[in-house]
Amino acid sequence: MNVLKVPARTIAVFILPALLLYVCIVFIPIGVSFYTGTLDWDGINTAKHVGFDNWHRMLFDDPYFWPAVRHTLMYAVFSMTEIPICLLMAILLVRFIRKPNRIVSIYFTPVILSVVIIGQLWSTIYSPESMGGMLNSVLDSLGLDSWKHGWLTEKNIAMYSIYIVSLWQYFGYHLLIQFTGVQNIPSEIYEAAKIDGADGFKADRYITLPMIVPILKISLILAFIGSLQSFDLVMVMTQGGPAHATDVISTHMYNSSFLSQQYGYGSAIASFLVVLCLVFTIIINTIMDRVERRYS
Amino acid sequence: MANKLKMLSVVAAASVLTLSLAACGKDSNNTNNAASPAGTAPAASSPAANGGEVNNGEKVTITFQNIYADETTPTANGLKQVVEAYTKEHPNVTIELDTLNTDQQKQKLKTQAAAKTIPDITMVNPAAQMQPFVEAGLFAPLNDILDKDGLKDTYQAGLLDYYSFNGNVYALPDGNNIEVVYYNKDLFAQAGISAPPTTFDELIEDVKKLKDKGITPIAIGEKDTWTGSFLFMNILLRTNGGPGFLQDVLDGKKTFEDPAFVEAVDAFQKLVEAGAFPEGATSIDANAGANLFKSGKAAMFIIGSWETGAIDGSTVGQAGNAAAFQFPTVNGKGDPNQFMLAPGTAFAVSANSKNLEVAKDFLHYMTSSWPQIQFDLKNAVGQPQLMKGDLKAAGYSDLAISVLDLFSKVNGGDLAFDNTMKPAIAQVHLTSLQNLFVQKVESASVAKEHQAAYDANK
Repeated sequence: MNVLKVPARTIAVFILPALLLYVCIVFIPIGVSFYTGTLDWDGINTAKHVGFDNWHRMLFDDPYFWPAVRHTLMYAVFSMTEIPICLLMAILLVRFIRKPNRIVSIYFTPVILSVVIIGQLWSTIYSPESMGGMLNSVLDSLGLDSWKHGWLTEKNIAMYSIYIVSLWQYFGYHLLIQFTGVQNIPSEIYEAAKIDGADGFKADRYITLPMIVPILKISLILAFIGSLQSFDLVMVMTQGGPAHATDVISTHMYNSSFLSQQYGYGSAIASFLVVLCLVFTIIINTIMDRVERRYS
Repeated sequence: MANKLKMLSVVAAASVLTLSLAACGKDSNNTNNAASPAGTAPAASSPAANGGEVNNGEKVTITFQNIYADETTPTANGLKQVVEAYTKEHPNVTIELDTLNTDQQKQKLKTQAAAKTIPDITMVNPAAQMQPFVEAGLFAPLNDILDKDGLKDTYQAGLLDYYSFNGNVYALPDGNNIEVVYYNKDLFAQAGISAPPTTFDELIEDVKKLKDKGITPIAIGEKDTWTGSFLFMNILLRTNGGPGFLQDVLDGKKTFEDPAFVEAVDAFQKLVEAGAFPEGATSIDANAGANLFKSGKAAMFIIGSWETGAIDGSTVGQAGNAAAFQFPTVNGKGDPNQFMLAPGTAFAVSANSKNLEVAKDFLHYMTSSWPQIQFDLKNAVGQPQLMKGDLKAAGYSDLAISVLDLFSKVNGGDLAFDNTMKPAIAQVHLTSLQNLFVQKVESASVAKEHQAAYDANK
C-alpha cells in the first residue's frame, strides 16, 4: 500500500465518489429496510411502530420461515457441490480437447437464456404426462413407471426439482470461470514439474489445485450468494408452492410483502437475508483464506 | 484491506434484493402538478369535459392495466374494440394496454401502490380487497361520470355498493357473476351419468365414475390459488346452511373452528381423495385449467359464470356439449339457490393520474358502450349492466340462456374469501387450501391455522 507513497488525503479524494454512490445505493437502502422491518405497514396506508415484533414473529412464530431458510441453505450447498465437478471438467477439457472453447461456449448457453424462459421450459418438462410432461413420458417409455413423480407438485420433491434446474443453468457459468483459471496457469510450471516427475493428475494435485484456489473461491462465493438470493426461478416455476414447499427466503419475503401486504414483516425478512449473507461471506472468506495460506 | 473490500462488494451484491424492495418505497411520488389546467376542474361543471377536447388536442397517453390476458375471450375482444373506437374519435389519445394475468396484476398493482405510482386506469377487486387503496386515497371518485348520461342507472341495483366507500363510488365493475358448475354432456354420457348431481354424495359418485373412464372429473388451475378457494367457499356456503359465515367470523359470532367450516374442509378433501382434480393441479395456472374443460378433457368446471362466453366459443361449446347446473347440497345442508356471488373486478382511476379527465372520459365511454359490445359478442352472461335485447333472437346458445336462468334463481349468497377478509388472512387461507391438493391434512388443524391467522391479523 505504501509503495506508491500517496498521501492518505489523495486516496480519500479518489475514493470518495465511488464511496458516496455505494453508500447511497447500498447502505442507505439496507438501513431503510432495517427501519421498515420495525413497522406494521400494509404498504399503502400509514405505518405503525412495533419495535421488534416482526423479528420475534419471524424467528419464533412463523411456521414457514425456518423451512424457507433451510431450503435456501440447501440451495446454496447444492450449488457449491457443483463447483468441484466444474473444476474437474475444466481440467479434462484443457488437457484432452484440442479446441475446448467451443464446448465451453455450448455449456454456457443456458446462462444467457432468461430465467423466465428456463423456468417455463422446465415447468413443461416436469409437468404431468397428461399435460405433456417430457420427463415423465421418457421415464414411462423406458419402463421406469415407478420413478414417475409430480415433480413440481409433490411437496418433498418440488424443491429438489428446482435445485436441478439451477444446477443445470449455472454449470456452464462455473465451468467457464474454472476453465479460464486453469488455462491461465503458465505452462512452464507444468513443464518444470514434468522434469521433476510430476505428470497428469499428480500435477493437478500439486500445481493446478493450489493455483486455482483464488478462482475457486470466487466461484464458491458467487454460487453461495447467488443461491441465497434465489428468487426468479422459484417464482416462475412454483411461486413458492405447493403450500410453501418451495419457499426460499426471498420468495417468502415477497409473498409476505406483496401478497399478504405486510411490508414491515417482509422487510424484517429482507434484513435477515442481509445478515445471513454477511455472516456466510465472512465464514467462506475465512475458510478460503486459510486454505490459500496453506498453499502459498 | 483488499480483502475487506472484496468482502464488502460481495455483501453489496447480497443486498440487491433488499435494495430493490426499499427502492420501491422510495420511488418518486406521482404528483399531479403536471396535470392539465382543465384537469383540475370538476367534470360535471365543465362543458369541455366532453372527450379529448379536455386536453385541447394535446397528445396524451393513458396506461390501462387490465386482466384480459386471454385474447380469445369476448372481454379481451371488447376491450380492443373500445380502445380502437375511442382512439379513432380522439386521435390525440393513446391508450397503452398493460395486460396481465389476474394474479400478476394483483401483485403488480400492490407494488405500484407502495410506490404511489399506479397506472391511470387499473383493475381492483371489490370490498375488502380495494379498501386499503381507497383509504390511501389512490383512487379518484367516479360519481361524476356515473351521473353523466345516466350511466349509473345502467348498472344492476345494489351492485355498485360493493365498490362504494363513504358515499363515493371508486370503481366500476366489469361483471357480476355467480359460481356455477359447467359440465360436458358428452363426457357425462360416456361415464354413464344420466343427470347432473344434486347432492354432494352424488357428485363424489360421478367423480369416481368419470375417473374410472380416464376422464379428468373437475378442471382446475390451482397454481392460481383463488380457484380452489372459490370452489371451497361454495361448499362452505352449503355446510353453513346459508350465507354469512365469514361475516359472522368478522363479527365475532363464530370462529373458523366452527363445525360448518371443519365439515367443509372434510368435504373438500373427499373431493381431492376421489381424484376429482387433474394430475399436478397445483402446477396448472387458471387459464390452462380452464382449457382442460374447454378442450373437452375434463368433465366439470366449477367457476364463475364469467366463463360462459369463452366456453361457448370453445371446442366443447361449439359442439353444443356444455351445460351448467347449481352446486349441489352438501350432507343435506344448504340451498342450491344460494350462490357464490362474484361482483367483478372493477375499473378504477388513479387519483394522481396526470390525465385524470381523459382517463375518466375514456372509462365513461367504455362503460357506456360495453353492454352493447358484449351483447353482440355473445357475452351477455354475467354483465354488470342491464342488457337490452332478445337473447334467443340474437342467437345465444342454450348454455348462455340456461346460465342466465340460474341468475334469476339467485336467493342470496357469499362473496369470495379474499373479498371479505384482510389480505394477510386470505393469503394463509389460499395456501392452506392449496396444501389440501397435495396432502391429506387433519381438518381440525386447517381450521386452527385459519383461526390463528385471523387472530394474528384482526
